[in-house]
Amino acid sequence: MARLELRRLRKRYSGSTDVLHDIDLSIDDGEMIVVVGPSGCGKSTLLRMVAGLEAISSGELVIDGECVNDQEPAERDIAMVFQNYALYPHMSVFDNLAYSLKNRGTPKAEIAQRVEATAQLLDIGALLERKPRQLSGGQRQRVAMGRAVIRKPRVFLFDEPLSNLDASLRVQMRQEIRALQQRLNITSLYVTHDQTEAMTMADRLVVMNAGRVEQVGTPMALFRKPATRFVAGFIGSPAMNFLTFSVNTLPDWLPRVPAETNEPLKGELSVGIRPEHIALTTLEDGHIEGCIELVEPLGSESLVHVRIGGHDARLVVRHGGMELPEVGQVTGLNFQGPFHLFDRHGQRLSTRLRLADTNCSMES
Amino acid sequence: MAPQLLIVLVFFFWPAITALRQSLYVQDAFGLGETFAGLANFTRVLASQSYHEALFNTAIFSVSVALGAMGIALLLATMADRVLRASRVYRTLLIWPYAVAPAAAGVLWMFMFDPTLGVLSRALAALGVHWDFRLNGHQAMALVIIAAIWQQMSYNFVFFLAGLQGIPASLLEAAAIDGAGPWRRFWTITFPLISPTSFFLLVMNTIYAFFDTFGTIDTTTSGGPGGATRTLVYKLYQDGIVGLDLGGSAAQSVLLMLMVGLLTLVQFRYVERRVQYH
Repeated sequence: MARLELRRLRKRYSGSTDVLHDIDLSIDDGEMIVVVGPSGCGKSTLLRMVAGLEAISSGELVIDGECVNDQEPAERDIAMVFQNYALYPHMSVFDNLAYSLKNRGTPKAEIAQRVEATAQLLDIGALLERKPRQLSGGQRQRVAMGRAVIRKPRVFLFDEPLSNLDASLRVQMRQEIRALQQRLNITSLYVTHDQTEAMTMADRLVVMNAGRVEQVGTPMALFRKPATRFVAGFIGSPAMNFLTFSVNTLPDWLPRVPAETNEPLKGELSVGIRPEHIALTTLEDGHIEGCIELVEPLGSESLVHVRIGGHDARLVVRHGGMELPEVGQVTGLNFQGPFHLFDRHGQRLSTRLRLADTNCSMES
Repeated sequence: MAPQLLIVLVFFFWPAITALRQSLYVQDAFGLGETFAGLANFTRVLASQSYHEALFNTAIFSVSVALGAMGIALLLATMADRVLRASRVYRTLLIWPYAVAPAAAGVLWMFMFDPTLGVLSRALAALGVHWDFRLNGHQAMALVIIAAIWQQMSYNFVFFLAGLQGIPASLLEAAAIDGAGPWRRFWTITFPLISPTSFFLLVMNTIYAFFDTFGTIDTTTSGGPGGATRTLVYKLYQDGIVGLDLGGSAAQSVLLMLMVGLLTLVQFRYVERRVQYH
């Protein structure tokens, strides 16, 4: 139970440029923050800095009002679940769970009682005598969780804990982790590269790219109003489609005149459209036409990849119909909005745009 | 027949069987005849005072060398493991002693500890220690132990370093987060996880101390003074090659082989139980 504050955190390795630039983040008591980004964006480094495994180059890390920059990992009273679980291979599950308590000189009777309680919580009571190598992936994951839970830390850290599990187990474990975190109400920082995992688990999401925070917000806020083109492309599956236009040649189906704008738009503009906001239609009704290159049936819907000639772009369309369109067929595409507009630097345009031919408006 | 089998037969079984046969005979001084003597060679060897002394010397020597060489190597490997990036240079430097021939290593240490010429003897004299390994049996023993440790250390270092580098960093990080200090991390995580390496090295170092230290002892002290550094393998050589007691020497070699075999068996039986294979 703690408030965690990151103030202008920066990481620099000697002789190289910064890998993290002025990260500011404030995490409320019991909140689950998920940091998501492509590999190499610095999210794991950030987590390791919070854990105390990496030194902080500059800035402050504050837990409950106290700056912990110079504290050892053990002093910070945090627990971490590692990607490879990092279970001690030579110890039984019992000893793995008890290790942190033993290190802190907890009386034997209390250790036994707390291991028992934790094992019950995570449903691993029958495994206490086993060694980690005798456990399945999901069981190891639970033991790793148990090791984090047992000493009631102030902060939980998760470093891509589900990436070694198969798909179905991953879905199950992410629900369990989320449920457990909410039940114990422990402030958590969770790092992942999987946007579905991030969306489903987070109270608030932090999207990182190249050592910077792109945007912080609830999953739905980020989905509905991505602040940058990067966030727009990263959040949501399948990813948002982008079409690039010169400001002078904006298509008919986009509003030509921004309603409230401080300065005139220049150069190129990216228009982002989610796959669910494009419909396949006849050539006459379409805003644009393209050739169907690939159809991926998913059962309840299909993903249709359409090559757009003039733009040299491939759009993905979420197609709900039961009959599948044919590959090679030329089709019309109807854009339904909302549209996401980004300037040439990838920043969301802070203008109110309105479609000329519909009443569908979009706030930004 | 497989060539390796042939090599084992020629270089191992044949000499071993010859030694076994020889240990049951008494040879005349000129090597022209021999008489079957049963177990007389063995009883004579086992009853002799000098054999007991050599046995005692070997025990002191082997335990000191094995523990010393492994302990120091582990310490160095732990330090090298911390400075991972520099470890390649460090590792190469620390492997060098192993490339030095035992006899050369012996001479090297003999010079450094030479009572009249040696730099280290001079340093010891400055500290008020009267150093003369040619007269003082304990000092002679210390010298051969140091030389042998120095030689074997690099071998151990390579294995320990490989073992240490095989431990995932996340395990030690998890232990640090779990509140274990560096010392406790070492004894509860690192040490158990390199126990297979340690066990292997224990066996190898024992064999080294029993057999391969001959050259080191021969060049530094020649078993002296007064047999203070005469280990079993050195006595075997002296009795057989210098004293020409071939039967007695063969009996000693058979005994030595049995002893090392037994020791290895004991190690596998009792020490290996505590090894954490994972």
